[in-house]
Amino acid sequence: MDKIVLKQVLPMVFEEHRSLMQSDVWLQDLTFEKGNSYLVEADSGTGKSSLCSYIFGYRKDFTGQILFDDKDLNGLGVKDWVDVRLRSLSVLWQDLRLFPELTAMENVQIKNQLTDFHSQKQIEEWFERLGIADKKNSKVGRLSFGQQQRVALIRSLCQPFDFFFADEPISHLDERNSEILGEILMSEAQRQGAGIIVTSIGKHMNMNYHRIIKL
Amino acid sequence: MKLVWKLLRQHISIGQFTGFTMANLIGMVIILLGFQFYQDVSSIFSSKESFMKKDYIVVTKQVGAVSALTGKGNSFAPAEIEALEKQPFTRSLGQFLPADFSVSASMGMKNIGIQFSTEMFFESVPDDYVDYNSSQWNYREGDELIPIILPRNYLNLYNFGYAQTRGLPKLSENVISMISLDISIRGQGKSGHYQGKIVGFSNRLNTILVPKAFLDWANKEYGSGEKVYPSRLILEVSNPTDDRIAKYFQDKGYETEDDKLEQGKTIWFLKIVVGIVMAVGILITVLALYILMLSIYLLVEKNSAKLENLLLIGYSPSRVAWPYQLLTLGLNAIVLVLAFIILMIVRKYYVEMLEALYPDIIIGGIGKTVLIGIVLFIMVSFMNVLVIRQKIAVIWERKD
Repeated sequence: MDKIVLKQVLPMVFEEHRSLMQSDVWLQDLTFEKGNSYLVEADSGTGKSSLCSYIFGYRKDFTGQILFDDKDLNGLGVKDWVDVRLRSLSVLWQDLRLFPELTAMENVQIKNQLTDFHSQKQIEEWFERLGIADKKNSKVGRLSFGQQQRVALIRSLCQPFDFFFADEPISHLDERNSEILGEILMSEAQRQGAGIIVTSIGKHMNMNYHRIIKL
Repeated sequence: MKLVWKLLRQHISIGQFTGFTMANLIGMVIILLGFQFYQDVSSIFSSKESFMKKDYIVVTKQVGAVSALTGKGNSFAPAEIEALEKQPFTRSLGQFLPADFSVSASMGMKNIGIQFSTEMFFESVPDDYVDYNSSQWNYREGDELIPIILPRNYLNLYNFGYAQTRGLPKLSENVISMISLDISIRGQGKSGHYQGKIVGFSNRLNTILVPKAFLDWANKEYGSGEKVYPSRLILEVSNPTDDRIAKYFQDKGYETEDDKLEQGKTIWFLKIVVGIVMAVGILITVLALYILMLSIYLLVEKNSAKLENLLLIGYSPSRVAWPYQLLTLGLNAIVLVLAFIILMIVRKYYVEMLEALYPDIIIGGIGKTVLIGIVLFIMVSFMNVLVIRQKIAVIWERKD
C-alpha cells in the first residue's frame, strides 16, 4: 500500500456542523504517502480516534471516501481486512487494547506468533530499552498506563506495515521514554520505508514530520 | 494458539457445558438405543425364514363340510383372483401351481439299511416370491437335479415323532441338505427319475416347493393338460397390518396360513413405540443443542472485548472462532463415544435376555446405529460450528 487517500470524509456525528467545519482532514481531499511522517494535531473531541478507527476498518460511521491506493475500503472483504491488518497497517490504539489477563511478554507474543515477524531477542531488547524488562512476566493489568503504552508499542511493531498509526502514543510517558519510543518507531518505519501518522492533543513525539495537519 | 486459548477460555462455565454434555448424551443414548433395540428385536419376527420375502401372506379358502366331501370349491376361480388382485392393499399376487402328475420320493442310506419311500406332491410359486439364492433355485429342461424347499414341520415330525419313538438318528437341516432324494414321476403313461436336493426349510410355506420352471415343464410332459386352478395364492401386500385385509378375508371366507398378519401388527406397534422413544431422544438432543447455543452466546458475549481485540490485532474471524469450535467438537466427540459405550453395555444386557427367550434369534450388528450416531455427531457439530462462526461474524461487523 503506497498511499491512503481521504476524500471529503466526515464523521456522521459532525454532519450537522458540516458548514462550520474548519479542518485539514474533514471534508478535505488528503493523501498520506508511504515513507512520510505526519503529525495530526487535534483538540479533544475533534475525532482523531475516529480517524484511526475509520482507516483501520473498525468503524464505518462516516460519509465520503477512504481509499487504499485506488481501492475504496468499503469494498474490502473479511479476508482483505485481515490481510491489511497483518501486513499493511499497524495501530497503536489510544486505549491500547491489551489483554490484562496475559503478561506483558504474552501480549507481545500473541501478535508475534501470528506474524512471526521479530525474533524473541529483538523483542527482549525493546523491553530492555524501554525500561520494562523487569515487567515482562507481570500481568499487564497490574502495570501503570505508561508501562502499558510501551508494551502496546512493542506489540504493534510485531508486524510488517506500510503505515503506522500512533494515537497519542506518549500521553503517559516521561521525556526520556518518549524519546526512546520515538527512536524505535522511526527506525522500524525507516527500515520498512513506511509512513507514520501520529496524533496528539498537545504533547507530541519529537520527529521530523513531513507535514503537520490540524484536525 | 495456546495464548489465544488462554484468553478465550475465560468465562467458560463448567456447569453449563457439563449440562450440555449430559443432556446431549442422554438424547443421543435414547436415539441410538431405541434404534438398536428395534433392529435387534425385529429380527425375532423375521427369524429363520430367509427365502420368503417379508410382506407376503399365503391365502387359502376355508375348508367347509361341503367342499370337503365334494372335493370342489377349494380352488380360486379366475374372477376371484382378479378381484383380489384389484384390492388396494394388494401389491402383487402369485399363484401356487400344483403338479398334474404323481410323484414318489425315496431317501435313505442304503448301506445302513434305512430307506424311506413316500408318495408326495409338488407345488410351485413364481420365483419372485421365493427369496432364495437364484443360482440354486432354478431348473433347466434336461437337468437331473431338482431343488426342493420342504416345510420345517416335516423335519420336526420325523425328528421328534418318528425318529424318537423308533430310536433312529435325528437329522439336522444341514445333514438333510446333503442327502439326495430319488424322485420318480409318473403320468400319462410316462415316467422319469430325478434327483431331489433339499435347499431349505420353510415355516410358512406348508408345501413341497419346486422351481416354477420345473413344474411348468413337467406338467406339460407328464400332465393331463387340463387347466388346474390354484388352491392357494401368495399375496404381496403394502402393509400387513392394514385392517382392510382382515375384513376382506372375513367377507370372502379366505384364510391365511400363518400368523404373518399378527406379526405385522406386533412390528407395527414396536415401530410406533420405538418411534415415540426416538422422538423423545431427538427432542432432548435438540434441547441440549439449545443449551449449548445459549452457553456459547453467553461466553462470546462475556469475551466480546477480547475477541474484538484479537480481530483488531490481525486474527481472522475463523481463527478466533476455532478454539470454541474445537471445544464443542471435542464435547460432541466425547458424547458420541460415551453414547456408544453405554449402548454396548445396555445392549449386552438385553441381548442376553433375548437370546435366553428366543434361542433361534440371529442378532445383527450395530453398523447402522454407529452410522446414525456419526450422522448425528456431524449434524450437531455442523450446527455448533456454524453458530459460533456467525456469532464471531457479528463481533467483526460490530452489529451488536
